[in-house]
Amino acid sequence: MKNKLFRKTDLIIILAVALAAVAFILWQRMGDTPLTAEISVNGKTVESVDLSKITDRVEIRPEGAENVLIVAEDGKIRFEASDCPDKLCVKQGELYRKGDTAVCLPEKTVITVTGAELDAVTY
Amino acid sequence: MNKKALIAAAVCLLAGIAAVIYFTCAPKTATADFFAMDTYMNFKVTGKNADAVISEAKAETERLDKEILSRQSAGSEVDALNKNYGGVLSERLKKYIDSLLGVCEKSGGGYDFTLGAVSDLWGFGKNPAVPDKDELKNALNLTGADKLRINDSNIAIPQGAVLDFGSAGKGIVLDEVKGILDNSDVREAVISAGGSIMVYGSRDFTVGIKDPEGGNGYVAVLTVPQTCVSTSGSYERYFESEGKRYHHILDPETGCPADNSLISVTVISQSGILSDALSTACFVCGIEDGMRLAEEYGCEAVFIDNNHRIYASAGIKDSIEITGGAYSFADEE
Repeated sequence: MKNKLFRKTDLIIILAVALAAVAFILWQRMGDTPLTAEISVNGKTVESVDLSKITDRVEIRPEGAENVLIVAEDGKIRFEASDCPDKLCVKQGELYRKGDTAVCLPEKTVITVTGAELDAVTY
Repeated sequence: MNKKALIAAAVCLLAGIAAVIYFTCAPKTATADFFAMDTYMNFKVTGKNADAVISEAKAETERLDKEILSRQSAGSEVDALNKNYGGVLSERLKKYIDSLLGVCEKSGGGYDFTLGAVSDLWGFGKNPAVPDKDELKNALNLTGADKLRINDSNIAIPQGAVLDFGSAGKGIVLDEVKGILDNSDVREAVISAGGSIMVYGSRDFTVGIKDPEGGNGYVAVLTVPQTCVSTSGSYERYFESEGKRYHHILDPETGCPADNSLISVTVISQSGILSDALSTACFVCGIEDGMRLAEEYGCEAVFIDNNHRIYASAGIKDSIEITGGAYSFADEE
């Protein structure tokens, strides 16, 4: 043990620092893209939520799937409750990154998070 | 010092150097927001020397406005030509006029950059009012790009015609800024000259078309590689009088706001000046003639009418995603 160059704890610290650095760089590059959650029922988009503007709790009962309760709060969105038997949708938890998707199959309801920021708007 | 401490120190040093290299060499994004040409400019440049490039672009835009194009700016080239009924054209202004004369001609007079006096009668931007019919008729009789006499770099402007580059200046800015970007090392840029957009770089960009019925939203998203995108809309500048709405896009034939079903026309072109001038020309010409005109120039166009119908040229249709709920493609109804 004495002759070993690094102890396990040293390696862990080095790894942690390296990971933090990579995360920081990625975060920097991502910039401040506002995220939008698209809620679709039966393949039709019924609601679009700008997650970047959500702070307080917003309850959504999507049109055509009124048994589903979706909650947006603090830049995140999730299935809060559903009448479906397995509650898989609720178990998928919070969505807040571009590409995050949760599905409630029995209610044919999908939440997808997309990076909605355009490069520009012409007028 | 033991070996371990030495290695740890070396690792820290390397990390420090790497960080310094990353932050000095990593592409930087610089932005500039300012007012010029009676509109709002928003430039965003990413790459090496982004700061220097963006200040050059801003300075160039302000110079173009004050020293060449603005007819309101005392002492600008256009102001002097208007006051002296002509004179010697600078090389740049001659280039702009040559390409705009082409648009006037090909649009069958649907586009005209000599309508300054007519647009003054309407008072857009100041105290807008419906002008007296006779006054309008008289002013109109004196205008027309076809009445300009250009000989080499000399131009003669008949009395009453007033050069006005309001419908092309933003596009000219895009072209001049492109020249600056081409000579720099930038990776990408998004240049908005009052809603006329140039996306610059080797990726695909998304450009929204503003909702012509108001709000901050957009009704469709174009996905395009490097290009210029300009829009003319009847919602941009208008006033209401006796229950009727008057917008700022004047039909050179009547001197009155172009009266067709269109509310927004977007033209996509590699040339900024053409995208800008053609969006106005196509708005005045209407869907059929406008579509033909855009095609003649090899440009793509998107027309939106007051029934929420979207008409797109074949080359751009597949790159349009309609996001405004009430809107749909005219041929898919």
